[in-house]
Amino acid sequence: MTQPTPLLSTLETYLKLTNTRAQAISSNMANVDTPGYRTHDINFESELRRATAMAPMETADNTGTVHFAPVVREVPGLLERPDGNNVNLDREGLLLAESQLQYQLGVQLIKGQFHQILSAINGGN
Amino acid sequence: MNLFDALSISGSALSAERQRSEIIAANMANAETTHTMAGGPYHRREVVFETPATSSFRLALAATRQMPGNVPGSVHISQVVDDPSPPVMRYQPGHPDADSQGYVAYPAINPAAEMVDLMGSVRAYQLNASAVAATKSMIQQSIDILKS
Amino acid sequence: MSSTGNGLGSVGNIGSTGSIGSLPQMFSKESGEGEQGFGSVLSNALAQVNQLSNSADQQAGSLLKGTGGDMSSVMIAVEKADVAFQLMMQVRNKIVSAYQDIEKLQF
Repeated sequence: MTQPTPLLSTLETYLKLTNTRAQAISSNMANVDTPGYRTHDINFESELRRATAMAPMETADNTGTVHFAPVVREVPGLLERPDGNNVNLDREGLLLAESQLQYQLGVQLIKGQFHQILSAINGGN
Repeated sequence: MNLFDALSISGSALSAERQRSEIIAANMANAETTHTMAGGPYHRREVVFETPATSSFRLALAATRQMPGNVPGSVHISQVVDDPSPPVMRYQPGHPDADSQGYVAYPAINPAAEMVDLMGSVRAYQLNASAVAATKSMIQQSIDILKS
Repeated sequence: MSSTGNGLGSVGNIGSTGSIGSLPQMFSKESGEGEQGFGSVLSNALAQVNQLSNSADQQAGSLLKGTGGDMSSVMIAVEKADVAFQLMMQVRNKIVSAYQDIEKLQF
């Protein structure tokens, strides 16, 4: 039961990354007027690839959860305003909407996975 | 790395922007105030936003949060400063606050600039309010995993 | 329900090919002959369930206290523990009913 399906562990990482990204976006939005603040974000695709490449054996406990810390870094190439702040409202708003939908997608897929497993377990009776 | 942390970050921004708009509203209301309790004309005030200093954002996100105000990434108003620009002098000899040459000192407040500032504050408030709604929806979705 | 891309196979067929087919293999690694095998299968399942639910409890606890852990991981851990428990209950039911069937055999 530690790793019922590979898709499930990928989905778990997917949700974790979306979580982290949402927090970074919230931070960026909160500091849109803070002088000198730089936009932070994670490189979603490469972090997901890195996490799924990590073997599930590298866990502290035996429950199959992958302990994984995504790397948050500054986003290059954004236009900077005179006070040193480079937060772009449109970019943040778009990414937030996208993250919300991504999270919804992940949750729905996870529910589907558990539903299938439970049906397989209880389906005989 | 918690959705509740994201909520408190957005919450801190809402609070800070609200305080900022209060300061701006006070500036606009007192654009013509020539005499205050402290003597002299009203001084335009500005707010300075600050985010908690962190050496590395990644380490900060990984650390457990200690106090609600210290969540890395949140914002607060570090100081409210008086605008040091000199007051605007207008020649009004009959005015009760006129000085010996007949000039009255008015606050150096440009209503148009204050209005633009206020619009910026409102826009930031709306942005963070929608961030709160998005985070709330994600928390709701997480709870949904356990349903059915 | 049609089969999905990750190889779960059709619903209700727990022994089918695909990763969920590894579940009975996990239980069978300790099985010996007859009663002895069943007993150790059950105690293995019990140990796994215990571990999963302890971990889920711990994660849920730290989520409530605010000491870290994100919502999605905690929810998934809780759900995993629940599913493992249900699996164990089903296995237990099968074992008990198989035992009763054997008891009814008359020689």
